[in-house]
Amino acid sequence: MLAVIFSPVASDGSRIFLELGNLSDILRQVSIIGIIALAMTFVILTGGIDLSVGSILALSTSLTAMWLVRSSNVADYGAHIAAAIALALAASAAAGLINGVVIASLEIQPFVVTLASMIGVRGLAKWLTSNANIDIGFGRDVAASFAETFRNKSIVIGSYAALSALLWFVLSRTVFGRHVRAIGDNERAGRYAGLPIRRVKIWVYALCGLSAGVAGVLYAAENHQGNPNAGVGYELDAIAAAVIGGTSLAGGAGSIPGTIVGTLTIGVLTNMLRLNNIDSNVEMMVKAVIIILAVAVQRRSSND
Amino acid sequence: MTEPAFLRPPCAPSRLAVAIGCAAFLAAAGCGGGKAPSRHGKRFLVAFSQCNNAEPYRAAQNALMMKLFAEAGDVDLVIADAGQDNSRQVAQVETFIRQKPDLLIVAPNERAALTAVMGQAMQAGIRTICLERDVLQPNYTVYVHSDNVAIGRMAGDFIVKYLTGKYGSPRGNLVQMRGLLGVEGEISRYNGAREILDRYPSIRTVAEPVADWIQARAKDRMTEVLRSQPSIDVVYAHNDPMAVGAYLAAKELGRDHQMIFVGVDGLGGPAGGVKKVVDGVLAATFVYPLCVDKTVAVALQMLRDPHFSPDKEYNLPPVMVTQANAASLYTQLTLSGGN
Amino acid sequence: MRPILFAENLRKHYGGVHALRNGCFDLRAGEIHALIGENGAGKSTLARIIAGATRPDGGRILIDGQEVSFAGPVDAQRRGVAIVFQELDLFPHLSVAENVVIGNARFRSGPFAGARAMEAFCGPYLQLSGLSVNPRRLAGDLSVAQSQLLALARALSMEPRVLLMDEPTSALFDDAAEHLFAVIGGLKSRGMAIVYVSHKMEEIFRISDRITVLRDGATIGTSATAETNLNEIVAMMAGRSLEEVARHAATTRGAVVLSVSGLTTAKLTDVSFDLHRGEVLGVAGLVGAGRTELGKALFGIDRLSAGTIRLNGGVIRPRSPRQAIAAGIGLVPEDRKGEGLMMRMSVLDNSVMAVQSRLHGSGLIRRQRELDAVKPVLNGLSLRFGSYGSPVGNLSGGNQQKVLLARWLLADPQVLFLDDPTRGIDIGAKQDVYRIIRELAAMGKGIIFVSSELPELLRCSDRILVMKDGRVAAIVDASGASQEAIIAAATLVRPTAPQDHDAR
Repeated sequence: MLAVIFSPVASDGSRIFLELGNLSDILRQVSIIGIIALAMTFVILTGGIDLSVGSILALSTSLTAMWLVRSSNVADYGAHIAAAIALALAASAAAGLINGVVIASLEIQPFVVTLASMIGVRGLAKWLTSNANIDIGFGRDVAASFAETFRNKSIVIGSYAALSALLWFVLSRTVFGRHVRAIGDNERAGRYAGLPIRRVKIWVYALCGLSAGVAGVLYAAENHQGNPNAGVGYELDAIAAAVIGGTSLAGGAGSIPGTIVGTLTIGVLTNMLRLNNIDSNVEMMVKAVIIILAVAVQRRSSND
Repeated sequence: MTEPAFLRPPCAPSRLAVAIGCAAFLAAAGCGGGKAPSRHGKRFLVAFSQCNNAEPYRAAQNALMMKLFAEAGDVDLVIADAGQDNSRQVAQVETFIRQKPDLLIVAPNERAALTAVMGQAMQAGIRTICLERDVLQPNYTVYVHSDNVAIGRMAGDFIVKYLTGKYGSPRGNLVQMRGLLGVEGEISRYNGAREILDRYPSIRTVAEPVADWIQARAKDRMTEVLRSQPSIDVVYAHNDPMAVGAYLAAKELGRDHQMIFVGVDGLGGPAGGVKKVVDGVLAATFVYPLCVDKTVAVALQMLRDPHFSPDKEYNLPPVMVTQANAASLYTQLTLSGGN
Repeated sequence: MRPILFAENLRKHYGGVHALRNGCFDLRAGEIHALIGENGAGKSTLARIIAGATRPDGGRILIDGQEVSFAGPVDAQRRGVAIVFQELDLFPHLSVAENVVIGNARFRSGPFAGARAMEAFCGPYLQLSGLSVNPRRLAGDLSVAQSQLLALARALSMEPRVLLMDEPTSALFDDAAEHLFAVIGGLKSRGMAIVYVSHKMEEIFRISDRITVLRDGATIGTSATAETNLNEIVAMMAGRSLEEVARHAATTRGAVVLSVSGLTTAKLTDVSFDLHRGEVLGVAGLVGAGRTELGKALFGIDRLSAGTIRLNGGVIRPRSPRQAIAAGIGLVPEDRKGEGLMMRMSVLDNSVMAVQSRLHGSGLIRRQRELDAVKPVLNGLSLRFGSYGSPVGNLSGGNQQKVLLARWLLADPQVLFLDDPTRGIDIGAKQDVYRIIRELAAMGKGIIFVSSELPELLRCSDRILVMKDGRVAAIVDASGASQEAIIAAATLVRPTAPQDHDAR
């Protein structure tokens, strides 16, 4: 089968594709969306959706950069960087937690709540930064040292891999993970079985905010800046990755390995199209077809 | 040939998901084969990463570059659009680096974000040209640009002259419509004008809305400004589409005759800023050159002549367009298809 | 007599499962022909094929001696075959009249169907089906029984010669069922051929002319009702004979475990009763009388506006099922699919759903510990299933119900509320449910057992609480009670003087 896949071996695209450097490029490129998609899988499994992740990512990049450039002469780089990351992650998790509390307590549809926080958190990020990018720069200071470290391919890919393993374990091997699947499968039945539905939902959205925060820290390092306009449309990329990986927007069906495959599918596809110099507008059309195909194939197989 | 390791997820996913992954491969590889540029004879591969095709200025750059390289005859040009997303542009440049083009042209979306990956290109031994925007470190072979600070100063001088003519002394109310913040062009166009205007305290800047280069957004921001500011004399927008957007907002409220609109870019063609000056919509615009003819000229020489050593930087002068020269400039620009 | 409809060797499989292997059937004008079989025997599939709702993989159908092949239900209707489905397929936001005319090729009008024209059209059919409501009412406002009649009226409006009814009485209390039987009898006398799919032996023997038994997707045989008997039919269905259910011998009543007084919610008014350890309290009443709502009030789902619940003497006021479970109350809901099980999750997942924190704290899942706990319970229920990992949705209705029961056996509550646990499951599974109820009572649990079938209530309960309009109409001793007395209490305006009325 692989022979068929790589039949136009003569073209440069396929040869370059298999280079180790290119393969790790792909992994690094998909990591940010991939990390968000992992937690998005949890949210969608409960039958919800989180549209605010792109904005939370922007908030996280902004806070990371703001803290890093706060003072120029820092003695302990490690502590300063740790504080910046902790601040960004705490704020992101808090944003997700608020999503969860509103959804679970006021029983407003997740789409509406996270649509609101998508707008509100974006506004917060812009307000904090006065809508300006915060350059981390390329000097010899603590900020640049942060960026150099966390931009490192192995750190980025390592974070993605570690989070994948962790969340896969949580979803398939813990009581919390089973609750997530059960609520998505049948929330009413979950209620009748005495599951802590509210608590599970709150944690799921907090987790989603936290993972967007992790993605934001990596984004800040990758781009050497805090950017309140970053991550526009990332929520849809993350949802697409989960959906291609077999997650049902109705809830109850989906898995972490599936989402990883979905994420890689998009990454590999984009990379191959680019290597073969396909117009980037065509790229979008091909993605559209893949999404529909993926879901259509799953629909057919589940109807058998 | 073995299956690449990353295709194997940590735990077996549904067979289906794998099948879809494979299908995606097939689609991608299938699309690919035919279109790869041939390397026979003395043909060169030039890769161009454009930050955002959606802006008219960028689209004009693409069009002119395609035309000029096609005329050269020995160049295959590949253009990728980053859609105003830093991460996507970094990924695109990374992919280009893998392809080892003879020359890499990058119009960075934001300076900081592209700095590191441009360094990677240098390390890979690929010669690079920064088009119109540079990056934070000299991670490029050539930087072709114009001078946005000079444009800002020219605009400032023009505004001072206009207000002096209107009121007898340099005073009045000014709106500066700003593009995407943090971008070099925006900062320079802003600071250049400030440099001049700060000398005249009677010229008050009453609002500085941000419209991210986009006409529709500029119209909305301007509408808000118009509601709160009863008296405005000049709108200075950092590109022509935003100036037009501001004009449309004023026209809608019947206030377009109370003020003048000044833009920057001065593109040719029926939708460009020069035509808007001809039509009397804009009082003036400042041609920020596309920088493409110079870029292509330098590029071709770099490709064809191994002994050629280009300058590190080419700074192209801006041109002021007013009613006086707009008509003739329009004919010239529109016929030659660029500037 | 030449059959109006004749089917032979019908086959249908889904994936690898044969829903129907050899479906044979003949139907005469003016007869009521019962189709019977355990769950999964293929009777619904056979009915759906005859109604054109499912395409067979093989076999043939003859109508008036002519072979037909239905493209869909509409095609079947054109040939004079109409079906009233088991799941009511009404449009709740449309009026009664609109529900009758919608999709009916016989009702012709312009694009703007006038209400008057619709009502004129559907009037006779509403009358024929015995549904006396304003045709402008919304279908969603009707009771379950009325909805059933509306579905019948809709089928009748197709002017069918063959009418299929799939489990029409599964949600009806006896008086509504009586009414339906009268309507069916009327249709029969007009020469209509009726196929009647049901689980309920009593009614089949009462109303049918012939009985066809299916087992494992094949027709076992057809008998004239007058020439056969219950044991013969059950033996055909099960391949074994019916285990006679001995009446539940009253165990020694223990102390009061649950004491409810003055319980009032939006749907209940002043409900009071005591439940003892080791006692089975049956709950009877019409659909909508407040039986399910009683469970919801005890289980922390519906908000109490007045009244107290005492468990072992201490007042509890659960605000959620979670709190009710913690206090020691369990509930097996009436709607197995909607409120009971996670259909895509496994047998094991579903079984342990209510006891996870006890098994694992709230951390990691330890599979072996779960299997050790679940295995004896599922074995005790004689559950038939592929593996602990297979989805519950793949099991038959009876086995699904057993998984749900297993969940509550594991949870080990002091009081278990069973809301119509035998609804829609086959005879074998019913026997298992009765046995479990007895065993739980013997273990000293307090059981509240809701059912629409009076015989099983009388058989299994110690006392029976009769509900009407959200109130307690009577509490009677099951050993001395008759079906008639209970029906009277549930339907009459004034409750008859109850025996052993110990409600305060």
